This record gives sequence, structure tokens and C-alpha cells, in this order.
Amino acid sequence: MNSSTKYSAQVRELTITYFSNDSGQVRALDGISIDIGAGEIVGILGESGCGKSTLAGALLRLLAPNARCDGGTILIRGRDLLNLSEKELRLIRGRLISRIPQDPALALNPVMTAGSQIGEVLRAHRVSNVQQRRMRVMELLREVGFDHLEQIYSAYPHQLSGGQRQRIAIAQAIACRPALLIADEPTSRLDATLKGEIITLLFQVRQQHGIAILLISHDPASFAGFADRVAVMYAGRIVEVGSSAEILGRPLHPYTQGLVRLMMPLEVAGSRVRTRLPAIEGEPFDPTCFPVGCRFAPRCVERMDICSLRYPGEFLPEPSRPVNCFKYGE
Amino acid sequence: MLVVKGLTKKYVRGGLWRKRVPVAAVSNIDFEIPSGQTLALVGESGSGKSTVARCVTRLERPDAGQILIYGTDIAQLRDRDLAPFRTGIQMVFQDAVTAMNPRFSALEVIEEPLLINDRVGHGGRNRKDRRDLVRALMIEVGVSPDWMRRSIFHFSGGQRQRLALARALALRPRLLVLDEALSGLDLSTQAQIANLLFELQAARSLTYLLISHDLALVTRLADMIAVMSGGKVVEAGPTQQIISSPKHDATKRLLASAKSAASKLAAITGGLV
Repeated sequence: MNSSTKYSAQVRELTITYFSNDSGQVRALDGISIDIGAGEIVGILGESGCGKSTLAGALLRLLAPNARCDGGTILIRGRDLLNLSEKELRLIRGRLISRIPQDPALALNPVMTAGSQIGEVLRAHRVSNVQQRRMRVMELLREVGFDHLEQIYSAYPHQLSGGQRQRIAIAQAIACRPALLIADEPTSRLDATLKGEIITLLFQVRQQHGIAILLISHDPASFAGFADRVAVMYAGRIVEVGSSAEILGRPLHPYTQGLVRLMMPLEVAGSRVRTRLPAIEGEPFDPTCFPVGCRFAPRCVERMDICSLRYPGEFLPEPSRPVNCFKYGE
Repeated sequence: MLVVKGLTKKYVRGGLWRKRVPVAAVSNIDFEIPSGQTLALVGESGSGKSTVARCVTRLERPDAGQILIYGTDIAQLRDRDLAPFRTGIQMVFQDAVTAMNPRFSALEVIEEPLLINDRVGHGGRNRKDRRDLVRALMIEVGVSPDWMRRSIFHFSGGQRQRLALARALALRPRLLVLDEALSGLDLSTQAQIANLLFELQAARSLTYLLISHDLALVTRLADMIAVMSGGKVVEAGPTQQIISSPKHDATKRLLASAKSAASKLAAITGGLV
């Protein structure tokens, strides 16, 4: 297998800076490298402002105009995304790489029926026969778990529930069987009971069509039993990578350890009513001025002298578990 | 401290061309919170939690039922008679950004309730008193008072929620209604704010009405849980009891969704969390 089919996406040393008049430069991504294998589910875990949504935007080349790429490469199935023209990008978006929105209520067109919105994606990618298109849309609707296909096909977004809208958005995203699907907090606007359904649906999509998924979330629990690998981001950098079982069960970086300590099985939580939570103390990072050394150091309980002197390189305390922390070497 | 009996609120749907029909958002709600304790109102979206919150704070006038604050029914009071009770009940909203005037500094945000209170002639504070009070409140919620001149946009999400708490505490309320006040925050920030809520409750003997859809978080915070579904309280009791022996389907559904994440986690970690 050559590298263009083995990986659906390869990101190397990607650095992205935002410019603004009042707060100057903000380095949202600082040398991010991550490979997403074909059909792999990769999770990005991080807090707001850590750069996870910038990474999602960069993978589609859909960033705000004040964003500038200061280095690095993105290969999608072996093609360098950063050197493509707008015309070439149009052929790739939706067909090789697509995304589902955080809030489908905003992403769907309110004056188009659900069916025609899904059909629009197919038309953009050259399925010109109307009859054929309609049949494909019906298939897609069935795939994302609808029963009354005709009814849903001709429904407008406002007639659908939040969970149904998210299913329509997923149908749009997988219409052309992309190599990579980016899901940026796909369940954060949904009810607790619906979250499970949408996550299960995404898992089926991967199983049936081998579509790789990049799932972005701030909640470690959303990766449990779902993601193959999880990368933990803090302040524009990846601090730790591992399988979801490793990250959740045996986190190595003090930041991940702090996050995982906050998740607790319900039975245990119920027996500890009204006890303080094991919070990560301190303020989140300020994206306009990062400290010189490790960016988590100001909040870290295991901080050492070296941590504020320089940024820790990548250490491998275990095979295929890179961690950026001086606890594991110097 | 707070007793709610038979609370009912209807909204009117339709109008203009369609027929106007009243829809009951909540009907016949009963619960009570002893002083200094926390009751969590949980339920799926649309179950009527926020309507209850808006009635208890009297942002809405209920159609029927009683809301007793230390024995006085405020459910049907007119605005003028309500004023002395307003200071005692304060609300914190989910999104601190939209709940604050975007042109205000931290100082102005926290000072606003004091100014209004002074204007109706209850406070009698001068400028310096107010400034000192804001300073003390900011320290209490853990935001540096040196930043009081900064616009609210210069604060992080967690800090803004701390400022929202400071504003709510400015008039020394006895009851805080927290409408999804912890949702939408990062996990680490959420834990910090939860701990702050513990501290404030202990220091000021506050009573909390906590509204949330996140059962896992609520179990750590609340003494009692009331589960809402379809505009009714379908089950209520001590937190332990609701978690260990749920009776109603709505409770079981909420528990199942909270558990599925938790049990996947337990399977991975071997329950060692």
C-alpha cells in the first residue's frame, strides 16, 4: 500500500496564525503533526481556544481571511491541500473531505427541503440525472436511519427536530463517500439522549464505507469506545497521543490526567454527593502570549524547574505513545 | 425556604393568521427546597425546566399555583409589591456573553444591580461604597479586582461566568437560580465553577435551584433531584435515591445516556476512576 491510500490525511508541522488589530498575532496552531489512517477514527481533545476548530478549518481550507499558514503541509490522499487553487478545492470539498456542522440548524438552508439539500451535494459533484439523484438521496436517508423517506425528503429544516437535522447534515457529508469526515463537536448542541444515537450513526458510517473520521470534542467521554486514537491539544500544540483506551485509562500528560480525573462513572459520582470536584486550578492559557516553556506549566501540579525554561520535546515512554512532558525525559 | 405548589404556565401559540391556542409549558409543578440546600431540576430539552426557572424568578407570571418565599406567595404579586423580593432571588444564565451588556466593563456589569437598587431607594450607597463592594465581590468569585475596568470581552468563558455570579450576589440574595449555568463551559472550567458554587453556598448559606440536562454533573452538586418530562415533575427525591433506583421512564432514559458514556469508560479503565 503506498502512502496516498494508507492515509486519508497527513498533517505535518502545521502552523497557523491569526492577525487582528487589537490583540495582535494569535498563533492558533503551532507545529501540529498528525496522521489519519484510511478508515480511522481520530479524536481531538481540547478546551476552547486550543486550536482544535482551526485544525478542522485548515483541513478544509476554510479559515477566516485573517488566518495565515506559516508553515507545514496537509496531504489529503497524497495531494498537497495548501497548493491547490480555489477551483481544485471545490472538487475536493464534499468529495474527498467533508464536515458535519456543530449546529445543523444554522448550517442547513431554511428554504430548501431536506432532500434537495442532499441532492445539491450530488449535483455539485456531477450527478446530473435527476432521477438518479433522487434515488441516491433516498438511499442516503435510509442509511442515516430515517423510516418515512418521502416525508423527510420534502420536509423543511424547521419541521425537523435537532437530531433529525443532524442526520440530514450527516447524509449531506457522506453523499459522495469522502475519504475523511470532520465532525467538530457534532453532539454539543444535542440532548444527552440524542448524543448516543448520533455517535452510533457516525460509527456505522465508518464501518460501512470506511470513511475516516476526525472527531473534535472538549469532553473526553465522547471518545470512549468510539475513537481509535486520541490526540490531546493544549494551547495550539498536541501534548499527547494514544489509543482512546490508553488516553482515558492511563493518561500520561498531567493535563490529560486532570481532565480524566473529572470524568467519573455515575454510580461513583452519586455516592460522593456534595464533595469538591478535582478541578484543574488556574486560568486557561492566554492565546496572545504563551509562556516560554511548557504551556501547561502554570497550571501543572507536577511542575519542575525545567518546565518554564523550554518547551518539552516529544518523548516516547511507551511504544506509539508520544508525550510532550519533561516527566518522561529531558 | 422556597416552596412551589401547583405551578402552571401556559404560552399562547399561533396568532396573526393561525388560531391562538394556549399550550401548557408546565402544569401542576410541586417541589420545595430547604434553606441552604440544592435542588436540581433535570430533564430533556422542552421538558419545561426553564419555564419553571422563569416563573420562580418572576420573569414570567404563572397562570396558577403558588411560589412561597419564606411563606409569602409571590406568584401573583404586582411589580411594585414584588420589588423587595427581587433582590432575594437572583438568576445566572447559561451564556454569560449574551447575558451581559457588551459595552460594559466588569465593574459596570457587577455595579448595575446596585445602581438600580439604590435608585429605588433601598441601598443608600455612594460611589465609593459601590466600588468597594464590587472589589470584594470580584475577590470572592476569584477574579482579580485589578481587571474591573476591562471590557467583558477580555475575560475567558469561565471568568465571565464568575462575573455573572458576582453580579447575582451583589444584592445578597438568599436563592440563586442557575439555569444551565455550567453548560457550555470546558470541563476543567466547569469543575472550578462547581467548586466555587460550593464555597459560596457554605459562606453565604445560599439556596440553589440548579437547572441542567447533565445528570452526571448534577449528581455531584445537588442534595435533591426533580426530574421533569412533558411539563411535569415525574419523579423527585434525594440524589442517591434517584440515581440508584429510578422509577420513571424519563429518569431511566437520562440515566442510561449518562451511564452509557460512564460504563464505556469503566470498561476501559476497569472502574478505576
